[in-house]
Amino acid sequence: MYHETRAADGADPGGAVILGHGVSKLFGGTVVALEGATFTVKPRQFISLVGPSGCGKSTLLRMIAGLIEPSSGSLHVHGDPVGKPRRDVGMMFQRPTLMAWRTVLENVLLPTELVRKVTAADRDHALELIELVGLKDFAYAFPSQLSGGMQQRASLARLLQTGADVLLLDEPFGALDEFTRERLNLELLRIVAQFGRTTLFVTHNIQEAIFLADEVFVMTPRPGRIAGIVEVPFERPRDISLMQTVPFNEMVAEVRGIFDRDNK
Amino acid sequence: MIARGAPGRKPARWMVLLDPVFLRRLATHVLIFTSFIAVWEWAGQTGRLNDLIMPAPSAIAAAIWRMYVVTGEIYWHFFVTMFEAVSGFVIGGVIGLGLAIGAALSLTFRRYVAPYAVALNVTPGIAVTPIFIAWFGFGWNSKIALAALIVFFPIFVNSLSGLLRVDRDTEELMRSLGASKMQTFFKLMLPNAAPMIFAGFKVAITTALVGAIVAEFASATEGIGIMMQRYAHRLDIAASIGVLISMALMGLLLFTLMEVADRRTVFWLRPERLEQVSRKRRRRLMALK
Ligand SMILES: Nc1ncnc2c1ncn2[C@@H]1O[C@H](COP(=O)(O)OP(=O)(O)OP(=O)(O)O)[C@@H](O)[C@H]1O
Ligand SMILES: [Mg+2]
Repeated sequence: MYHETRAADGADPGGAVILGHGVSKLFGGTVVALEGATFTVKPRQFISLVGPSGCGKSTLLRMIAGLIEPSSGSLHVHGDPVGKPRRDVGMMFQRPTLMAWRTVLENVLLPTELVRKVTAADRDHALELIELVGLKDFAYAFPSQLSGGMQQRASLARLLQTGADVLLLDEPFGALDEFTRERLNLELLRIVAQFGRTTLFVTHNIQEAIFLADEVFVMTPRPGRIAGIVEVPFERPRDISLMQTVPFNEMVAEVRGIFDRDNK
Repeated sequence: MIARGAPGRKPARWMVLLDPVFLRRLATHVLIFTSFIAVWEWAGQTGRLNDLIMPAPSAIAAAIWRMYVVTGEIYWHFFVTMFEAVSGFVIGGVIGLGLAIGAALSLTFRRYVAPYAVALNVTPGIAVTPIFIAWFGFGWNSKIALAALIVFFPIFVNSLSGLLRVDRDTEELMRSLGASKMQTFFKLMLPNAAPMIFAGFKVAITTALVGAIVAEFASATEGIGIMMQRYAHRLDIAASIGVLISMALMGLLLFTLMEVADRRTVFWLRPERLEQVSRKRRRRLMALK
């Protein structure tokens, strides 16, 4: 397909951020975690990956992050084949992964600390991000003093501190209660819009996937694959009331239809 | 939610002395203890106990008074054994922690070295005493060596399992941030293992004392173990018990030191320390240029 040649040039006229062509991943030679994923992610797009457990969502994200290598197919980020982790791609996990011995501010400064000596400017930037995610009064608190939702806010601030322009979010709010999750989703939209980052967001929830995204990758298991890509046309900024509208629910039905078709 | 500074000031430590519950418990403790001693003393005074087998508390107190105040002979022995135990702990600890780090960072190392460490552990360490005395002589060295040997294993095992117990997501986070192996070790693995490492230290420090004393029993000219042996051979049980109490004191002293070090290092598991550390960290970050 044309994806291939474009990516191989390194200079992609369409300016795609991520290009996957026939990306597959086998674990231990037998477990097919992902099979033949072909997709394009354009700059500043918000992509939701939705699907049941075990359909390869995390596997796809970890390949894009350069944490694991594809078994076959080609996968390019900013025109380069993926190999090892890169500075312009950042990842956030379902669990907070904060370091218990660091304050929130120190946790947020970690990405900077790994590449250079932290300066007052870095600190002020991190403090701004902490304020942005709503943890202004907790910059010097330790993770054990925060609720689960606050810990994920801190993780988000740390992700932004990396300066990465591709954000990979693996069920970032999946472990939180519904109220907190809804709030954080809205804030995430606001923040991503403000920074203009390209985002891949993994979720189990169809409504959430559609509400957040420009495009939904619908994934199905055994073997894990992208069964369909649904474009979401709703205007931004979106309000939570969108979820009550008929077009929205038609779209939910469309996504659900892809799962049902696959189950037959 | 966060525990911010309480509106009022935290009550001072000594205020507990005004707490009726605390006072009642304290009184009960004192009562039980003194009655026990009183009955024991009474049994001794009225000839119901054989002085050679179980001397009365007053006789033990007199023996302790003698060795600490009259002759002062205990201090040198006390120091010798403490020195042996602490030196053994440091040597065994450095080797144990060092090998644990090697084993944690390298699978090959773990595969080919760890089995010997386990073999060493199932060998009763104390049984090595005669060999160590043959190798290192009758002086302090053989005691230090034995203490180091038996301290090694708990430190090695605890440190290794702590170092390997890294959360997979956090490890992937470090990789996704481009951290080097060194950075991952110092910023993630080591602090993550600190609680386990200190658990090992706390077990080991009293074990070190056992090692030093047992080696002294085998053959020595100085040290608290030899003091105990001399009194026991003379059937001076009161003085022997006095020495035993001193040994307990040594153990308590060493353990408390370790506990304090643990509390200072692994502060994040001590909710009462968080506020203080937080203030310190804030000052440090504010001072950045
Ligand atoms: N390191 C691994 N070794 C072997 N099999 C693996 C490994 N990682 C994932 N798998 C398998 O690959 C498949 C896809 O896993 P993946 O974690 O990508 O699913 P997922 O869509 O993220 O699921 P979930 O929603 O539960 O997080 C699963 O069957 C899983 O068991
Ligand atoms: Mg997953």
